[in-house]
Amino acid sequence: MAVAELEPSVIERKTSGSPQHRGPGPDAPFSLTQLSFWDRVTLCLLTAMAAVLSLWNLTGAPSYQDDEGTYTAQAFAVHSGSLAPYTYWYDHPPLGWIQIAAINWLPTLLGLGDGTAIGATRYVIAAYFVASAVLLYMVARRMKVRVPFAALTTVIFILSPLSLVLGRQIYLDNIGVPWLLLAFYLALSSRDALWHHVCAGICFAVAVLSKETLAIFGPALLIALMYRPRWSNRSFSVVGFLTVGGLILAFYPLSALLRNELFSGQGHVSLQDALTYQFLERSGSGTIFEAGSSRAELLAGWLYFDKYLIAAGLAAAVLCLLRKQSRVLTVAIFSFAIPIIVGQGYLPAMYIIGVIPFLALALGTGVDIAWSWLEKLGGARPDLTRRLRAVFVAVLCSALVLMSVPQWFEQDRDLLTAENNANWRQTLSWVQDNISREDVVLAPYSMWYDLNSSGWNDSWTMIATEKPDLDKQFETAHPDGWQEIDWIIVGPSVSANIDSLGLSRAASALSHSTPVRTFGEWTIRRVEVPVPPRTNER
Amino acid sequence: MPVSVLASALVVLIALALFAIALSTLYLNTYAWWDPKTQIRTSYSGLQESEACSFSLIMPCRNEREDVMRATLSALLGQTHSRKEVIISVGHDDPETVQTAHALAREYPDFVRVSVDVSETKNKPRQLNKALSMCRNSVVGVFDAESIAAKELLAHIDSVFATKNADVVQGAVQLINYRDTWYSLRNCLEYFTWFRSRLHAHSRQGFIPLGGNTVFIKRELLDEVRGWDGNCLAEDCDLGVRLSTLGRKIIVAYSPELVTREETPDTLKALVRQRTRWSLGFMQVFAKGDWKNLPTRKMRAIAWWTLMQQHFMAFAGVCIPVAIFAAVWGGFPLVVTLVAFLPLVPTLATIAFDICMLQEFGRDHKFTITWYDYLRLIVGTPLYQLVLAFSALRALIKFIRRDFGWEKTDHSGAHLSYLEPAVTAAVRP
Repeated sequence: MAVAELEPSVIERKTSGSPQHRGPGPDAPFSLTQLSFWDRVTLCLLTAMAAVLSLWNLTGAPSYQDDEGTYTAQAFAVHSGSLAPYTYWYDHPPLGWIQIAAINWLPTLLGLGDGTAIGATRYVIAAYFVASAVLLYMVARRMKVRVPFAALTTVIFILSPLSLVLGRQIYLDNIGVPWLLLAFYLALSSRDALWHHVCAGICFAVAVLSKETLAIFGPALLIALMYRPRWSNRSFSVVGFLTVGGLILAFYPLSALLRNELFSGQGHVSLQDALTYQFLERSGSGTIFEAGSSRAELLAGWLYFDKYLIAAGLAAAVLCLLRKQSRVLTVAIFSFAIPIIVGQGYLPAMYIIGVIPFLALALGTGVDIAWSWLEKLGGARPDLTRRLRAVFVAVLCSALVLMSVPQWFEQDRDLLTAENNANWRQTLSWVQDNISREDVVLAPYSMWYDLNSSGWNDSWTMIATEKPDLDKQFETAHPDGWQEIDWIIVGPSVSANIDSLGLSRAASALSHSTPVRTFGEWTIRRVEVPVPPRTNER
Repeated sequence: MPVSVLASALVVLIALALFAIALSTLYLNTYAWWDPKTQIRTSYSGLQESEACSFSLIMPCRNEREDVMRATLSALLGQTHSRKEVIISVGHDDPETVQTAHALAREYPDFVRVSVDVSETKNKPRQLNKALSMCRNSVVGVFDAESIAAKELLAHIDSVFATKNADVVQGAVQLINYRDTWYSLRNCLEYFTWFRSRLHAHSRQGFIPLGGNTVFIKRELLDEVRGWDGNCLAEDCDLGVRLSTLGRKIIVAYSPELVTREETPDTLKALVRQRTRWSLGFMQVFAKGDWKNLPTRKMRAIAWWTLMQQHFMAFAGVCIPVAIFAAVWGGFPLVVTLVAFLPLVPTLATIAFDICMLQEFGRDHKFTITWYDYLRLIVGTPLYQLVLAFSALRALIKFIRRDFGWEKTDHSGAHLSYLEPAVTAAVRP
């Protein structure tokens, strides 16, 4: 076309450099449009690996959790135009399960998930896990980590049992993490392009609207954006990032405001109430230093799955301080740790999911930093270079073997072969086959959606265990209270939930019930309502 | 039920249209900052050693004050480029300005001549065409009567013609009296984004409405297309469209040191008149339909959008709050209401970027921008938007009535107080 812009010789000179190389040189910033051969190969292999490990035996292990059922049910509720099958009370921003709802028809269509909705939804999460793995590699490469160590980062992320166990389950954190990683990838734009930084703001907002706890990475992301060699449009980038990200986040309180549920009030749920509950009122998890507190137990649980990743990742986070580009990882990991160490409030078990990629990235970067030292050392003594490299690789490999074989191998093998949901599945079929669709049933959330959609189709006939006590609508649907409940299905978490949430109606139903059928840790119990004493008031 | 669904669909449709307009505005306004490379790419290419062109500079004047004309002429005669002539273009019905023009021409007989347009309808393109017939040099440039050209401008423009083999070079204009009125700050910033960013985006897309000031065209080419359209209110835009359609090479260049400095209209009424004229001009160019001759469908779509976007933008500023208001109190489903809020995201982002641009404007022109200016910028935005919408509406009514009279902007010389004294003093070429 005739119209052209000025192209000064500055650019021409830059691009015409190093003609002897085809493709980007080793120092060229990582960009998807100009992938080197090794980047391509590594990305393909890592994608395949992440896909196999996240998909294999996906419905067999780990066992289905109530939270997974909750988000499954809420995602399916989106299809019919509401945010939850019960009253949506602002427990989490809804974008996570809205995203699930946007794609969960696909695994269902393909017949994945053993015919269960919760199983099919796990396949959606698997896609997010693969995306996280790929993005983690991309972020590592943008942070100038060498190809083998960037690959190592991702392999650790995929193989760590802590990551794999949680990454195969339907948790909102798993939805948010790839958006968070994409935000970091874009914030570290190779071109310092304004629209990359604006998109980073959008991605971060999506991450936070998928799972609010990921907001803890906000400061680290802002540092990642700003703490780089100065470029001419920096003020535009920062303003664009903050403004657009902030505006998109604002849609959450806005939607609450439009429903007249922003502030606490009589007779309705509100965002204010939900925040007060989550941050102030919810029974805290105690401090980490108090033996036996749920916070300490939670930490022990995470360590049980992968103490090596956590310990080595924390150590590497300190090492990351030595390289300017990777200091942001230290900030990310330690800002994430603050609520764990300092806080006493409620700490959810999946909280750890957000930091796993950063721990892996810190490890990969730490190794990369060590390798750089080695190269420098080798520069001084060229005769030693080969030997030093060999020793480094040997030490690294043996460390990995020591780390992975005893703990990782066993746990990963379990995940890929165990059948932990057999009892769950048998309970589900028994209830479907033997209980009348007219009967009022109390079922744990992990099973609730699959039961309800098999003929009850009424959230107040097939009721999730918590709802008689926590949703005021129960009283309208069942004025006689727990006595109207005919069945209660008891899974491994029911008693604990009744205790921790103080579910008195569910407790009454349970205490007036007798077991009818048991499958392992699952029991189907019939509620026997005591005959009320005759009154002669008339 | 179907009525409410239909109403919802309508709200969503309107909101999406407003979103597209706001997004397009955001894109055009921030194009220059998208990538640090864009800044380099849109800059001048550096000086060549020898001069390749000679310039005939037309200075259209109407009801101008002498000091304003003298300052403009001084800046032109003070150019470092050696081969130039100035033609002061006046109309025969404006004896005072004619007199001043002749007086100035007598002061610099070797460089300045006067062209008096005697046609019955008075407007800028006719004056330009009359002056064009007197031009003798290879490149014709236009400088409005109240504009102060940078000293080295012609030399740089010469280099651009030489190195880029250009047919047309569009330089940048900047309003600078930002402190004078509530709207002048917005107006100045509007010019800043227009010449710093929007024109480059249009140039990238291959369809460009030229500006009427600091624009340079090869004389041969101008003769070939028979000059400016004597009936068009936006003769500059029209020329750009025609040359784009002919596939001529148009270069847009920006450098803060080389902008031509101008003043904002001195009253709100004048601003409205100026805006109406521009809007009406764009409508005329659109209706003329030269853009339909563009070779590809995509190019025609871009042209359509470029010519219409301005009007859309003027109305969008008013429509967005109305749409939101209607959506909130119209009892629509939550999703529909949220969609109605969507256009606010690019709109508010544009305002946020305006703040950055104001900072850059101050830095480039060495003005001290205070927090009060930033505040004025934000508070003034909705009001300014109303002015634009009103002017666009006024233009639309005039367009429907076929009322194409020329409402000229008066010049008070307010910009002169913003310049260093050296610039405004008389200069011997």
